[in-house]
Amino acid sequence: MESIEPLIAHIQGLSSSVDDISHLHNLLKQSEESLQSQAAGLAPFLEQLDPSKHSLGYLYILEAYTSTPIQKEQASEVVVFITNFINSCLAEQIRLVPEKFTCVCKRLKDQVLLLQAPVRGVGPLRTAVRKLQPSSEHLTALHPDFLQLCLLAKWYKTGLCVLEEDILEVDQPRDFFLYCYYGGMICIGQKLFRKAMELLHNVVTAPMSSTNAIAVEAYKKYILVSLIHNGQFSTTFPKYTSSVAQRSLKNFSQPYIDLATSYSTGKIAELESCAEANREKFEFDNNLGLVKQVVSSLYKRNIQRLTQMYLTLSLQDIANTVQLSTPKEAEMHVLQMIQDGEIFATINQKDGMVSFHEDPEQYKTCEMIEHIDSSIQRMMALSKKLNAVDEVISCDPVYLAKAGRERPRFDIDDFDTVPQKFNM
Amino acid sequence: MDFSLLKGVLESKSYGKIADICDELMLQVAAQGIAFQDEWPYAIHLLGHIYVNDVNSARFLWKTIPSAIKETKPEVIGAWTIGQRLWTRDYAGVYEAIRGFEWSPEAQGLVSAFSDLYTKRMFELLLSAYSTITVSDTALFLGMNEEDATNYAVQHGWNFHPSSRMLTVKRQPTVTEQKLDPSKLQRLTEYVFHLEH
Repeated sequence: MESIEPLIAHIQGLSSSVDDISHLHNLLKQSEESLQSQAAGLAPFLEQLDPSKHSLGYLYILEAYTSTPIQKEQASEVVVFITNFINSCLAEQIRLVPEKFTCVCKRLKDQVLLLQAPVRGVGPLRTAVRKLQPSSEHLTALHPDFLQLCLLAKWYKTGLCVLEEDILEVDQPRDFFLYCYYGGMICIGQKLFRKAMELLHNVVTAPMSSTNAIAVEAYKKYILVSLIHNGQFSTTFPKYTSSVAQRSLKNFSQPYIDLATSYSTGKIAELESCAEANREKFEFDNNLGLVKQVVSSLYKRNIQRLTQMYLTLSLQDIANTVQLSTPKEAEMHVLQMIQDGEIFATINQKDGMVSFHEDPEQYKTCEMIEHIDSSIQRMMALSKKLNAVDEVISCDPVYLAKAGRERPRFDIDDFDTVPQKFNM
Repeated sequence: MDFSLLKGVLESKSYGKIADICDELMLQVAAQGIAFQDEWPYAIHLLGHIYVNDVNSARFLWKTIPSAIKETKPEVIGAWTIGQRLWTRDYAGVYEAIRGFEWSPEAQGLVSAFSDLYTKRMFELLLSAYSTITVSDTALFLGMNEEDATNYAVQHGWNFHPSSRMLTVKRQPTVTEQKLDPSKLQRLTEYVFHLEH
């Protein structure tokens, strides 16, 4: 068996310059097997290395060391080992072997779950995501794990920090599906329904060659969130949705489609009985809480509809039309909606009347201009990205070969590239 | 566990920072595998979320608190009662929850600062949602007795009608920053120009 000591000496000696590190990287690759074979005895060697200087070497040894089954008594210690490594390692070194770093971080996640202490992994995985991603546009294999731990530990707010960034680079479809699904759940927990819809919509419409469970569950939640946020749900898919999704998702979500149908009648009693009839299924899917929010949102929806028909209306009339028992209850609903910015209205207690107004936004404040400008900037960045991807694909030999096969008669127009209009 | 940062913030009354500081500290000690639950200032942490109006996070934090702690530390329950009332939009109940507990000296300052802030928020809400409102409702929303509530409202320019015990809401014209950075306008103009040509 090859001895580990010389390798440790190499790690210590070859961890500073770029050339040294690439030489070290080769040496480490050659020693992988002997590291694996001596995995159990590697702990003492880790102590001879400084994770903040010898990150690459440390990672190889840590990965080999943690690849052996970990005893329950050791779990806590191993978690601390990995946590300290994540906190102190150098990003540029660990990015040379992203798969090893990911693997170690996933082991951290498994261990904290075994210890039933998901909160222990939240901080370290957040750091790990930051160190692993070359830019905030990149989705890493650790994004879904980080979000999953946030959900399990009920640290929703912390999960939001990665969801605020626009992801434009994805390696593995599965990572993307899970990232959007867990992200959607985090946004639901924080009542950021618009963002939740966006993420869940991404799962439903992403390219897929066969039905997957993530998409099915995302579709169910998407229906519910659409009802809460938009007050309606359309069963037609956007045309860029994969044909697999278009064909199969609805079959798995019948109770949800039924709920959406009864929501559209605007009748509380009908919606409540529909929710009750499928209660077990919703509970089984862990969606009962969301279904309850759907039911209570119908009152709001009905009030909102009134604002489009009337300029003023008495609280008594509102209570009657939306099936609330007292004018006071109607008043409280209207008040809540004003508080949440969902309607613009004033309540006149003296006459028992509500007057509805137009949105007072005049789109001329500095804040609004700032908002418009940043939206345009985002769109431009996205459009540039899209053009670049399109260009890469239209030069890709595999794509051209396939496109050529499908269309035997060569036509120059087929290769017409992107519309040039939005190039800025 | 090093609570010096938290103590400093409490002393300097920068209550808006409490939630973030507690969150970060908790993630740190949890990652090191320290059993922090028994010593953790859950009441302050909950109140920190409530102070910045983040009832969702307060609720999720409440769900992670071990039941042994809920049973032995009544102040934690006291803090969550406020959160619960906010969650169910029991506007007047928030004040009951604030007054219904004998707060410890550490929490006292934070709770009373929140109470003032909440009164201000409620007054803003009444301002945006009502044209006329009864004195008794105003008192409930502001957590005052009727006389104080009337005075508070009249001081802010509202009119009081003793016969009907009604207040007429007077809105102050809001002054928003309208001054525009010319380069911003220039950029927007360029976008439009580009799209039209």
